[in-house]
Amino acid sequence: MLRIGAVERLKGEPIFSADLKLDHPLTLNVLRSSRAHARIVKIDINGALNVKGVVKVFTASDVPGNNLTGIINKDRPLLVSDKVRFVGDSIAFVAAENEEAAEKGVHAINVVYEDLPAVFDPEEALKDSAPKIHEKGNLLFSRKVKKGNIDKAFENCQAVVEKTYQTSCLEHTYLEPDAGAGYVDGDGTIVIFASTQNPHYDHSEVVSILGVEDEKVRIIQAATGGGFGSKLDLNVQGFIGLALYHLKRPVRYVYTREEAFLATAKRHPLTMIMKTGADRNGKLLAMRARIICDTGAYASYGIAVASRSAVHATGPYEVENVDIEAHCVYTNKPFSGAMRGFGAPQMAFANESQMDLLAKELSMDPFEIRRVNIFRQGSETATGQKLTESIGILECLDAIQPYYKGAVKKWRTSEASPFKRKGVGIGAMWYGIGNTGMRNPSTARVEMDPAGAVTLYTGCADIGQGSTTVLAQIVAETLCLEADAIQLVVGDTKYTTNAGATSASRQTYISGNAVKEAAEKLRELLMTGAVDVLKVGKGSLMLDSGFVADSNDNAKRVSFSKLAARAYKKGLPFVCQGYFDPETVPLDPETGQGVPYSTYAFACHLAFVTVDTMTGEVRVEKVVAAHDVGKAIYPEGVIGQICGGVAMGVGFALMEEFMHGQTESMKDYFIPTCKDMPEVIPIIVESREPTGPFGAKGVGEPALIPTAPAILNALNDALGERIYSLPANLERVLEASIRSGCFGPKEAKNV
Amino acid sequence: MYAGLAYVRPEKLDEALEFLEEHGGETAVVAGGTDVMVDLRSGALQTGYLLDVSRLSELKGIAMQGEELWVGAGTTLSEIYSSETLALFAPALQKAAFTFGSKQVRNTATIAGNVVNASPSADTMPPLLIHEARVVLASSNGVRTVPVEAMSTGPYKSAIHPDEVITRFILKPAKSMLADFQKIARRKALAISRMNMAVMAEKDETGKIMFMRLALGSSTPTPRRMEDVEAFLLGKRPDRALLWEAGQVLAEKMVEITGRRPSTGYKEKAAQGLFMRMLYPLV
Ligand SMILES: Cc1cc2nc3c(=O)[nH]c(=O)nc-3n(C[C@H](O)[C@H](O)[C@H](O)COP(=O)(O)OP(=O)(O)OC[C@H]3O[C@@H](n4cnc5c(N)ncnc54)[C@H](O)[C@@H]3O)c2cc1C
Repeated sequence: MLRIGAVERLKGEPIFSADLKLDHPLTLNVLRSSRAHARIVKIDINGALNVKGVVKVFTASDVPGNNLTGIINKDRPLLVSDKVRFVGDSIAFVAAENEEAAEKGVHAINVVYEDLPAVFDPEEALKDSAPKIHEKGNLLFSRKVKKGNIDKAFENCQAVVEKTYQTSCLEHTYLEPDAGAGYVDGDGTIVIFASTQNPHYDHSEVVSILGVEDEKVRIIQAATGGGFGSKLDLNVQGFIGLALYHLKRPVRYVYTREEAFLATAKRHPLTMIMKTGADRNGKLLAMRARIICDTGAYASYGIAVASRSAVHATGPYEVENVDIEAHCVYTNKPFSGAMRGFGAPQMAFANESQMDLLAKELSMDPFEIRRVNIFRQGSETATGQKLTESIGILECLDAIQPYYKGAVKKWRTSEASPFKRKGVGIGAMWYGIGNTGMRNPSTARVEMDPAGAVTLYTGCADIGQGSTTVLAQIVAETLCLEADAIQLVVGDTKYTTNAGATSASRQTYISGNAVKEAAEKLRELLMTGAVDVLKVGKGSLMLDSGFVADSNDNAKRVSFSKLAARAYKKGLPFVCQGYFDPETVPLDPETGQGVPYSTYAFACHLAFVTVDTMTGEVRVEKVVAAHDVGKAIYPEGVIGQICGGVAMGVGFALMEEFMHGQTESMKDYFIPTCKDMPEVIPIIVESREPTGPFGAKGVGEPALIPTAPAILNALNDALGERIYSLPANLERVLEASIRSGCFGPKEAKNV
Repeated sequence: MYAGLAYVRPEKLDEALEFLEEHGGETAVVAGGTDVMVDLRSGALQTGYLLDVSRLSELKGIAMQGEELWVGAGTTLSEIYSSETLALFAPALQKAAFTFGSKQVRNTATIAGNVVNASPSADTMPPLLIHEARVVLASSNGVRTVPVEAMSTGPYKSAIHPDEVITRFILKPAKSMLADFQKIARRKALAISRMNMAVMAEKDETGKIMFMRLALGSSTPTPRRMEDVEAFLLGKRPDRALLWEAGQVLAEKMVEITGRRPSTGYKEKAAQGLFMRMLYPLV
């Protein structure tokens, strides 16, 4: 089947926030801080009010409710009143009749700052002498995971590898810059269309900012052109809500690319000091990890990133003795938040490098060392969780091994042009589905109208990943219908109930289960109704494309519509609510012991790279990507995620780096083009998850995680020199080539 | 943002020149617009008029004229990409088009726009330099011809006069043994050169280099022909060690011109490496 909405997208029909037709909408423009850390002495808006076309200028004093926002902890003001904490902080905004006036208005606002000392290095920020960015200090959160006795275990190790790894700050660079539009309804409801990954969170946040009743705000997810985690934060929604509250005129706000770069979340740069030890058989005995996550000026999802990076530090391997600490630290940089993988991609880079280094120390094959340690049934994770089901990592490793063997035998030694070296590398990963050791339920509603038509109501935002298709398939499968027969109401807080965030690869697993429960309840109602009509026991009834039939006598059947009509007449409408919350046990604050997730996705990638030893240019030729997704409900969607994940992984590995104060837009921030893309060979492994809908887990973030580690290990394979900081750009690769002795006249192989 | 900006599109070169005679000081010539539109949006370019020269037939065409190779100022990178004449007589210039921007950019970007924008990384500059191109400039006062290296006085500083339009480039055609253009960039398409280089070389019957032209871009304030390196190699029989040494001369010359910057650490090595890679077919 075709993905739901694919044809409409191809024809350009979906309505993005910027496309919404509104009656003379006002446009907004935000005044952003030009200082990294400064007290605000005065905001003079009079100049702006005199600009023709400016309708109102908003400052913190216009916020009727809570000015502080944030999904985990509320530390980010919608509009700053006391001090700014990064270049890009929002101070005031202008509502105007047109963009030109809005822009002029912003330039006419005069802010008097009193500069404060700023801190940009997270390690500096942790010192007592560092300027305090927030009242409570610069340490936002620490996650510790401790088990066994590492000191004793390190003594018994044959090989110990200790290295420091660094990753860069990234901008998500989704296709559609943040946008929203809205109006005030006839009954006074504030209606906001937004490009968002979490309409129900937006709803609670706008309600909190405005201090109004829940019913007074309605958020509708407009067509959304990607998010990758950045559209989990409030971007334009709060400004639009505030403007609607005061002005009661339609409003639209679309970020420029520059604004999206300046003012929205980034990926946390991580410093990872890793010490890993193994015995002479390669069995991992101990790991010590010290992780610093630079969250910038505000927390956003920082706590989740720190927590997840600590929990995932070991990679998909058993390590009996661990001492892991992740610290999340405020600095005066743009704030970091959620980005595809929440710290796991950074950790995988460090951890998979460690695995290859240990293999080298012990003269082992990189597959062998992974095989010795990899999670199996009954394995215990660093947090003390026993893994019992759906552990497809060995199958993933097995799936890529033939490609590795072939590459080592033939491809790697085959003729390359002079000055080129080839290498292959492995990256493995595990990824806990859903939030870390926290409740994160989803709900859904499935209704059948008196005519027998089925509608799914879900708050789950489809931002391009295809959740709507999967959820419709789940309803259809449960009710024995075709997926395109299911009517859909998606991401509209007036009609849908909370499905939580489209993040943490959780929607197929968690919302899938909620949807399935609702559909099963409806199925039950249909069966019960049919018993009444057909006078046949439930045990012998079955669903058959719109009918309930007697499995012994197929002629004995009653249509869904008849059953629905009867029920409605009796005053018992077919309206079914579903719910699912994965079982977790919160992590102990001191030891991190607990059950952070109820299931994990697994994957292995194999990367083939060619390195130019004279210039540092790298071509990723091929990525073989094996993913255990439990069950691929929509295989084309899984493959789409894998290919997109690889693309993002290539960017993370080789070129992406957001430099605060410098990087402005796509002109100086490079993401891969199709010419940079390797051939991708996706391999779907299905290790059924008993608690998943039809056995499914998730793949959204896992798709990206192993790519960069595989590429970095391949670079090392090609050059014999390792790179410890991302991105492995021209400069770093050429340096590695020089260190390895590959750079020079003699090294050229004859053609 | 563009209030007060007027758009003018003459049908004939003479009309354009007339317009420039009167309004040159407050006019930006626009051809493909791939630099002009970007600068307009960012505010870097403030101007009263946009004079569109993209439809002027006088600026079109690629052809051999006797001993000279003429390339019209309004030739797009796509036209360069697929020109059989250039494949024969200026292959390095054609190769510059292969890695230039993206198809969409190539379809509208022009060679004159690239030269007048005067970016140190302009990809057509090294090939134009090795073909010792001369630039034909027209104004209502007449025509003047200058060597292409005189067209730019520094990064993004063009020596063109406000009342002038480039009409064409006159290249010395060459059919040499080796003719190449390569660039290093942060990704494989849609990327500005970190370094680019164009070369032509020919060996005599005894294996000695008898003809050589080399130009380096993105590494000096304006793209430069590297005559010192040419002279170093002339009359010598190339082997790996010699090329490596010549690459060293190139790197030193680059640092001498540009001075040391944060990017020098990479560039001096990359210049030597890229040079080696490009000249290696001579060994
Ligand atoms: C996405 C993107 C990718 C790019 N990639 C590359 C790349 O790979 N390599 C590269 O070198 N550049 C690249 N560029 C830069 C740009 O495309 C080139 O410099 C291009 O050649 C400019 O030509 P144009 O016709 O678009 O010039 P315009 O923008 O129209 O004009 C540029 C300048 O030239 C002047 N001008 C144009 N024609 C004439 C004329 N006949 N007489 C006098 N003055 C004239 C204009 O007044 C202006 O000052 C890229 C740009 C973009 C936006």
